[in-house]
Amino acid sequence: MLVHLQGAWNPWLGRLTLSQIPYHSPIVLGAFAFALLAAAPIVGLMTYYQKWGYLIREWITTLDHKKIGVMYIIIGLVMLLRGFIDGIMIRTQQLLADGPRSAAHLQAVHGYLPPFHFDQIYSSHGTIMIIFAVTVVLTGFQNIIVPLQIGARDMAFPYLNAVSLWLTAAGAALVMISLFIGDFSHAGWVGIVPLTELPYSPGVGVDYWDWALQLSSLGTTLGALNLITTIIMMRAPGMRWFRMPFFTWATLSTQTIGLTAFPVLGVALALLSCDRYLGTHFYTAGLGGNLMLYTDLFWIWGHPEVYFIILPAWGIMSEVIPTFSEKALFGYTVMVAATLSIAGLSWAVWLHHFFTMGAGPGVNLVFSVSTMLVGIPTGVKVFNWSLTLYRGRLRFETPMLWAIGALFLLLVGGLTGMMLAIPAINYTVHNSVFVVAHFHTMFLVSVFGIFAGLMYWFPKVFGFRLDERSGRRFFTFFSLGTVFVFAAMYTLGLMGMTRRLDYLYNPHWQALLIIQEFGIFLYCVSVFYFCKMIYVSIRDRAKEAHGQDVWRTSRTLEWMTLTPVPFYNFAVIPVVHGRDAWAMRRDSGLTATSPGDYEDINLPNNTIVPAMLGALAFGFGFGMVWRIWWLAGLSLLGIIGLVILRSFADDRGFTLTAATVRRMERNHEDTGIVTDHISPPVAELALFQ
Amino acid sequence: MRADIIAAVKQGMIAIVQLRHRADFMRRRCGWLRLLPLALLASLSGCSGHQLRLLHPDGPIAATSLRLSVIDVLIMLCIILPTGIFVAISLWRFRAARKARYDPGFTHSVRLEVLMWGVPFAAVAALAYFSWRGVFLVNPYAPTALGQRKSLLAMPDRPGTGNPLVIDVVATDWQWLFIYPDQHIATLNTLSLPAGRNIEFRLTATDVVNDFYIPQLIGMIDVMPGMRTKDMMRADRPGVWQGFSADISGAGFSWMQFPTRVMTHAGFAAWVAKTQVAPRHLDYAGFRSIARPTIDLRGVTRNFSAVQPHLFSRIVHAAVKGATDTTPMFLTEHMRRDLARRAPYLSGYPHS
Ligand code: HEM
Ligand SMILES: [Cu+2]
Repeated sequence: MLVHLQGAWNPWLGRLTLSQIPYHSPIVLGAFAFALLAAAPIVGLMTYYQKWGYLIREWITTLDHKKIGVMYIIIGLVMLLRGFIDGIMIRTQQLLADGPRSAAHLQAVHGYLPPFHFDQIYSSHGTIMIIFAVTVVLTGFQNIIVPLQIGARDMAFPYLNAVSLWLTAAGAALVMISLFIGDFSHAGWVGIVPLTELPYSPGVGVDYWDWALQLSSLGTTLGALNLITTIIMMRAPGMRWFRMPFFTWATLSTQTIGLTAFPVLGVALALLSCDRYLGTHFYTAGLGGNLMLYTDLFWIWGHPEVYFIILPAWGIMSEVIPTFSEKALFGYTVMVAATLSIAGLSWAVWLHHFFTMGAGPGVNLVFSVSTMLVGIPTGVKVFNWSLTLYRGRLRFETPMLWAIGALFLLLVGGLTGMMLAIPAINYTVHNSVFVVAHFHTMFLVSVFGIFAGLMYWFPKVFGFRLDERSGRRFFTFFSLGTVFVFAAMYTLGLMGMTRRLDYLYNPHWQALLIIQEFGIFLYCVSVFYFCKMIYVSIRDRAKEAHGQDVWRTSRTLEWMTLTPVPFYNFAVIPVVHGRDAWAMRRDSGLTATSPGDYEDINLPNNTIVPAMLGALAFGFGFGMVWRIWWLAGLSLLGIIGLVILRSFADDRGFTLTAATVRRMERNHEDTGIVTDHISPPVAELALFQ
Repeated sequence: MRADIIAAVKQGMIAIVQLRHRADFMRRRCGWLRLLPLALLASLSGCSGHQLRLLHPDGPIAATSLRLSVIDVLIMLCIILPTGIFVAISLWRFRAARKARYDPGFTHSVRLEVLMWGVPFAAVAALAYFSWRGVFLVNPYAPTALGQRKSLLAMPDRPGTGNPLVIDVVATDWQWLFIYPDQHIATLNTLSLPAGRNIEFRLTATDVVNDFYIPQLIGMIDVMPGMRTKDMMRADRPGVWQGFSADISGAGFSWMQFPTRVMTHAGFAAWVAKTQVAPRHLDYAGFRSIARPTIDLRGVTRNFSAVQPHLFSRIVHAAVKGATDTTPMFLTEHMRRDLARRAPYLSGYPHS
């Protein structure tokens, strides 16, 4: 061991002992029971209907970008729920632990959570929401929609795409397992140094956070590479740059940020790992370390990351608003310029996250101005959306409601962001709940965008619409919850309440904390309606089934495919003659999808290797967290071996003959609904035959 | 265009009237809704007076921040309000059911595009000007808001603002030590200041990063181990304020508050004289025992006299050399388990 560890270690189990399972905490036990309750029916039903084979053949092994995207979104929504429960726990603790006379429950001195447990919960809340919920869901959307929008049959690297997914899943699994084995980090989602150094975080919590982020960041980097290549190389004939749908532009900007920013996170975390595992002094206060080095590296990734999260959501808004305004996006070229300049500027503003570090006026001024410059293209986007509405023919179906909600939130978030960007103001609200309210407003723009996208594209992917009635209720309660929670939170910020407090010293905050809790209750109601919406829609799926173009006013190529989208996407790659290709075809009556002659389609076989890589990556992370060196070493060797082995596999893929394509397409000419079911075989199964 | 706008405004007013009718209807239907604004009002009046601390500054630094916030919000509202109203009116006016003028060709306009870049640009230019003023006004090293000189070439300090009181601030895990080097006294977890005199803080930490913050008096400044930051302030009037750490630093972070007592000139002098004969003394060894991880659950305060000279720089140097106060497992990982065994984290290490 190169570093001094508090507590026991042995070569077989590393730091893992039975006492690391927090069976003495009633809250963790409750969480465990909840997880069991949620999982049991799913596992039961799967077994009863004998769907495990189907799951492995059709989903776990798939290289189809749409299925991969759906899995991304499912993982993201599950994590969103987990993060939401964390959020409820945070709010409730602060409500209960307000003032010196506040009562004590369970094991705490105030409220019901002792400090170390509370600190873990807000750290996991932030990490999960940012890295494993919103980022993952948005990645899912980009995966599904971009190839369709540019008229491609798949991503540029379908196999790599699956690897990205399973790396992300491994990271998410590490976060989840930390709930039941050991602890999670207590140092915030940003992992403040030197708090994350071994002397101040002697347990495994920081290591869980570190490796979970490291794995998912690798996955995101590879995904960025893939999407950028796809957009550059795979566009259909005639799809020139300025004919690309706007969501594709948003994706291109986003993934450029991803490709350049995520490696910085990887390096920042790797150096932290060196400190914690090898005893180096990159970020320590003494012995030549420099803790500001971490803070800089982290935010050089961290700020672009927030735009990594918002740009796709803006892309979704830019698809939804025109569709339901029955009008093309106002100022397309200007919007593209604005998006690209936001992506560019996002690299140049990171220091605004630590104006208070004691820098001189010059440094703070430069970053203040660069931050405010971002406001210009952001304003331009808002104006363009507003003008898209102007003289449109607006229909307020659920996707549109979410998009408009996002627009109003953006106004509030922009206002507060511009306040924070001025150092003289920032000194008084930095680290206060005012900042928390600011970035939640902004993230909620993303979340509203996500729900807009979910309602908008769900019928395309699954072939039936989501229930409008419960969808509207879901929207209403979610928005009301947002108003209550965050209006109160901004006010608390002005009252000088700072963030991450597990005990609040000021009893005067009680009233506003109650209002926040009420807002949380409304959020809970909205979750109920979300579940109801899913349930009702699946129940009535036959009634709500739709053909190609559910909304009838959509504009981009993804609506040209059959519904649900067949795994080869387009029977014949479409030729694009202008912007908003589908709207053009519809306007000129050229919507028929079946041309005279079909061609053979070659697609990759399914393969289990990416999922195995994910499992091994999980093993590696788990081994590193608990310092079980043999496990980490073997997993790493396994990963390397598998990658090498796979590179020798002579897999020519799977060919769908023109006749089959013709049959599949012709059957459904009139309805546009696909019922045939064919999918690629699993490559590894051939080994056993 | 103008006719359009007038029509739009008219529509908006009609909409408001209709909305009021609707609201009346709603109110009749669900009377309890009326309680909602009341509850909001009640909570806000509960926090009127000095609860909205950022709106009630008590020193030039905090006042400057507030003034800039107001300017910033006003400038931003010039854009955001009209935009919001425009969106709201468009939503109302162009909903499909109303069959208003529909013009799918209205997707591009050079004039509007120039405007939509120009207006935010102008706003940002204005804001940048105020940001530039602001960074000097509340510059932690020499805030011009306190009458500090701007550069070496500028005129000397304004009379009465020179000769600041120097206080060394040390954040430990998880307490605050305030050393008055010229008075040779120190206080633990409580800060005493004279009103009307400039205060110069020099700040460092023993182990992890904290933020030093007294809303209404001084903005946040990071307190970092092995480094020294500075900040300056002045309090307008005597009174008691709440200072605290604003940056997560571990298990004891939520209890890192320090009451800040601002006294009159004479009162402060008397307090210094009294503290200078306090029975407790403080040297470096004594400091190290204070610096051991301690959750200050009970708000313990201490006064020290005969403080060892250069204690502050010794602390900084020790951190640079690698001194750390390792957090024991019972204040992190084992906290939950030990609590279950009723071995509370209340005490941490005992106070010296
Ligand atoms: C006009 C655009 C924006 C401006 C001017 C702006 C400005 C700022 C500033 C100055 C801070 C630092 C506050 C502090 O810690 O003292 C901040 C924090 C933050 N912003 Fe924004 N912001 C903008 C847009 C966004 C967007 C679009 C997002 C994400 C979707 C976002 C997410 C965040 C987050 C997550 C933090 C704080 C992270 C943390 O400390 O935990 N912001 N913003
Ligand atoms: Cu930022």
